[in-house]
Amino acid sequence: MLALNSVTRNYGKKVAVNALDLQIPAGELFAFLGHNGAGKTTSIKMMVGLLQPTKGQIEVCGYDVVRESREACLRTGYVPDEPYLYDKLTGREFLQFVSEIYGMAPGEAVARIEMQIDQFGLGDFVDQMAESYSHGMKQRLVFASALLHRPRVLIVDEPMVGLDPRSMRLVKDILREETRQGATVFMSTHTLAVAEEIADRIGVIANGQLLFLGTVGELRAQMSSNESLEQLFLALTAEEAADGID
Amino acid sequence: MASISGRVAGPATTESSQDASRLTSTSREARAFWRLRLNVLRALSEGTLRQARVQATSVVLASVILWVGLFLLFCQGFLLIQSGIPHEGLRTQMIQVIFNLFFLALSIMLVFSSAIILYGGLYRSDEVAFLLATPTRCARIVLHKFQETVFFSCWGFVLLGSPMLIAYGIVATAPWYYYALLIPFVISFVFIPAGVGAIFCLLVVRLLPKLRTHMLVLLGAVVLLAGAAMGWRVLAYENRDMMDMTWFQDVLARLEFSEQRMLPNWWLSSGLLEAAHPSVSESGRHSWRDSLMFLGVLVSNALLLLVVIEWLATRTFRVSYSSMRGIVSARRRAGLGWLDRVTLRVCAPFPRMIRHFIVKDLRLFRRDPVQWSQFVIFFGLLTLYFFNVRRFDYAGAMQKWVTIISFLNLAVVGLILSTFTTRFIFPMISMEGRRFWILGTAPINRDAILWGKFCFACAGAWPPCALLVLISDVMLGIASRSIAIVIIHQFGCAVLCIGLSSLAVGLGARMPNLREPSPSKIAAGFGGTMNLVFSSLYIIGVVLLLSVPTVFWAEADSLGIGHSPGRFVGGRIGLGTPGSVALGVALTLALSAVATVLPFRVGLVAFRRLEN
Repeated sequence: MLALNSVTRNYGKKVAVNALDLQIPAGELFAFLGHNGAGKTTSIKMMVGLLQPTKGQIEVCGYDVVRESREACLRTGYVPDEPYLYDKLTGREFLQFVSEIYGMAPGEAVARIEMQIDQFGLGDFVDQMAESYSHGMKQRLVFASALLHRPRVLIVDEPMVGLDPRSMRLVKDILREETRQGATVFMSTHTLAVAEEIADRIGVIANGQLLFLGTVGELRAQMSSNESLEQLFLALTAEEAADGID
Repeated sequence: MASISGRVAGPATTESSQDASRLTSTSREARAFWRLRLNVLRALSEGTLRQARVQATSVVLASVILWVGLFLLFCQGFLLIQSGIPHEGLRTQMIQVIFNLFFLALSIMLVFSSAIILYGGLYRSDEVAFLLATPTRCARIVLHKFQETVFFSCWGFVLLGSPMLIAYGIVATAPWYYYALLIPFVISFVFIPAGVGAIFCLLVVRLLPKLRTHMLVLLGAVVLLAGAAMGWRVLAYENRDMMDMTWFQDVLARLEFSEQRMLPNWWLSSGLLEAAHPSVSESGRHSWRDSLMFLGVLVSNALLLLVVIEWLATRTFRVSYSSMRGIVSARRRAGLGWLDRVTLRVCAPFPRMIRHFIVKDLRLFRRDPVQWSQFVIFFGLLTLYFFNVRRFDYAGAMQKWVTIISFLNLAVVGLILSTFTTRFIFPMISMEGRRFWILGTAPINRDAILWGKFCFACAGAWPPCALLVLISDVMLGIASRSIAIVIIHQFGCAVLCIGLSSLAVGLGARMPNLREPSPSKIAAGFGGTMNLVFSSLYIIGVVLLLSVPTVFWAEADSLGIGHSPGRFVGGRIGLGTPGSVALGVALTLALSAVATVLPFRVGLVAFRRLEN
């Protein structure tokens, strides 16, 4: 579903992502972990076509993100860390616009929009302009719009930031449900407890290099420790930081 | 909130989910974007009418007043040409030259403004990042932002160009179809320079992403120099008898460069003049047909440019966007630069807190090319004009106008300065308000923030303005004739700098917009508009109070007739007396004190009460 083959991205002389290899099959929820500036957001921006890899190739459902960007985008849903909404559109108008640019049939679009409004509890504010929304309301609307066209790959950057506990529960349930129904979910997060709770596999990145790829259990085995994911992550990245200093 | 169980729609991998979306057709995509625009426009107009009626009314009223003023001015100008040049052929030729020059200057400005606006719209906009992650075509995204660019470029043309064209139609008693053709002519014309600017922007960012700023500055400098050379060539005229037939013919010959038949400004002016003067050629061809032919040339060229933009966008935009995001800004050295150290020393008399706020604002100013480049361009153009004023030969036939023109130059400097204080100083408080979590919780006196901004604005504005006014006085020969007028001009310049800075800082603090992240939008809002209106009134007040008594006094002095009979204070303060000049200066001082102290105090009170 989502494949990154030796993907490298440079910013000038700095290597932000270095030869990243990832294969995430359908029905898997993958959590991408790393400290600030590790290369998570750069990787995500390459997956959704905002940045192009300096080397390597990214495929979404077999479509090359650079050469067949429209086909790849059509099968992707993206929830960025800082969601963009048109301030002067209502939530419903925004969802209608998204349905149109994703080429949804008008009848189906109306039904899907109502379904998303119901699912994400947008009914109270969906007909107000987005400029009046709180961060949590915006985040729920962006989730609704990202899932509107039933993407096969959902890419989520820091989904839990600014959400109240109820909204966090909803997002976690939605992500699990999407994977249960066969979608690939790629989630970047600093909220390690969430990753530990819902991810099938995790990837740990530091200084653009993938340090670990596998399940939390495999990480515990590798680190010979039964600590929480937070402790394991800190230990793993501390080694890398120490290597970097050396 | 709804629960998840049983609510999620069908599986993402089923056949139905695969059919949920498909690549949108070009026409459906275009309709979706038009609907988006209409929705935004409707919401904006409804919101403005509901929440900002006073603001909308003021903007409309100011625009109408400006439009009517320009219309009357152009009517008078065209009537003057009509009465001054009785020969119809020469008159039409003169009008064509005026149109050609006006539209040529506009074309050059539109190329630059559209390139800059489109660059900001395409490469620094969150909306584009959102759209690029959807299956929207790159060409559609670029066209969407290009349409915005044309709109932003076009409104200035409509405000400045439409009164001129309508005034000409009325003076020349043009037929109805002249007015009907104005809109399609103007729209198709605007698309051409805007399209050239868009192509330039796309190519520069694609081919030279790291050198984009340098390219723009270089090209701007070339155009400026070319303009200066052309201006010099046109105005280097030694005949002291202006407005006579020889002068006209000489000027027409010098302006031939604007009549290049491959340029859209010529197609536009020719098409409009053919429509304005109905005639039938010897072969029986009506002039309206020629007008339509020129319209066809404009429309076809505009469409061709749209095709080129679409082609370029499809091939280059995603790559250039990605390249732009890969540019790392230069690492700054820690500590103070030499300019900061000099500023700290120069500002030594101010309290420490104010000094550091000035240095911080100076850093922000010089690291934002939008601010300093506009400053350099406008003041550069003014310098160019002031260095050329003597070529107009005011010292000869139009000696009596010299003093008036010198005060008009002072007013121009003030007006340019007011646009800068509105655009850059006024939004500073709002921008500071967005960082209020730092300032509001820091152990600092809030007044120091406003004093810092005020000192920064004054210190930045006064030296270039004083220099410009001095250049104007030297070139007009005033400096060698009357040092008193030079001092009056410098006094006027100083009070304008102080008053305009205070107005911008005070009103900026009184009417902050803490929700808007874009300083240009803050400046374009109600507070910014009010600042511009008050600034204009203040400039008019200062210039009138200083110029009226000084002009009469200078004229009486140069004619050696003493002064006109005094009317006040036993004859000492009549027009033409030194007393009237002193009264003018005193009143200017009083007006400036009010314009400086009042808004600043209002701003201080409001800023102290501003909540975190």
